[in-house]
Amino acid sequence: MAFSLRALSLHAGNFQDRYSGTRSGWWAWFLQRLTGVALVGYLFLHIAVISTARAGADTFDTVLIILQKPFFVVLDLFLIAAVLYHALNGVRVLLFDAGIAIKQQALLFWVCMLLTAVITGVAGYFSLPLIFRE
Amino acid sequence: MKPRDMSAPLMSRQEKIITGFWPWFLQRVSGFLLIFLVGVHIWMTHFSGLGDVVRGHQEELVLFEIVKQRLAQGLFIFIDFSLLALVLYHGLNGMRNILLEWGPAARHAAGMTAGLWLLGVGTFIYGAWALLAFIL
Ligand code: HEM
Repeated sequence: MAFSLRALSLHAGNFQDRYSGTRSGWWAWFLQRLTGVALVGYLFLHIAVISTARAGADTFDTVLIILQKPFFVVLDLFLIAAVLYHALNGVRVLLFDAGIAIKQQALLFWVCMLLTAVITGVAGYFSLPLIFRE
Repeated sequence: MKPRDMSAPLMSRQEKIITGFWPWFLQRVSGFLLIFLVGVHIWMTHFSGLGDVVRGHQEELVLFEIVKQRLAQGLFIFIDFSLLALVLYHGLNGMRNILLEWGPAARHAAGMTAGLWLLGVGTFIYGAWALLAFIL
């Protein structure tokens, strides 16, 4: 699996050095990249959507009412999961840069995954009334 | 593949040399600051008004008037503009790191970096212009 996805990562040389040589280290790195690129794509979409405000309050509200329909609330939960994983793993990387907890890297990867799942779950729970609106 | 020496830094020296110290360092600083900025942003737009929407006091979480009221406070103007600048820097610097690992882009590193700056500054101006619709 790791090997076949390798080509996807556009990696040119220092691949082995990038991650710990363990499976979780590879996944941590790959998911960081995947979420990072996805969030950049979303960022441009998001700015484009918000800029409809320039066409006036009515246009903005028309667009935003559509984007707050249940389908998009569910999509927002994926967005929250991506941001959470990326931010948490970002902190994990910062710790390693500071020389902290490098030996616990695999454990910390699972902590990131768990926290992402739990916090997204809580956000999902509170969003239920919006997802099941009349 | 045999596990590498876990006492060594995870990032290769090669990477630091390719992307440069400052971009590497500022990627960390901007990432750290984004935890708070993105946190406040998502909380304010998606969760703080949830009770009002559920109880029917408010039609939707995000509408023009609601954003306008929020951006009448200096603190939120500061947060939104900082967020816009930092997220563009962090995101595009991240893209630069990825592109620099790819031979053809690395051979034109200077031009690519200039292109990304142009894209970033252009998008900041566009985003700021959009935000001003709520402020002015
Ligand atoms: C919310 C807090 C955030 C934190 C703490 C954070 C942290 C980090 C860190 C530490 C890295 C470097 C990873 C490495 O060199 O191994 C990184 C990479 C990256 N980040 Fe973020 N980030 C955050 C938000 C964002 C957002 C909102 C975006 C999108 C606009 C983004 C896009 C990227 C990209 C594209 C990369 C490059 C990925 C790679 O090199 O594989 N980040 N982030």
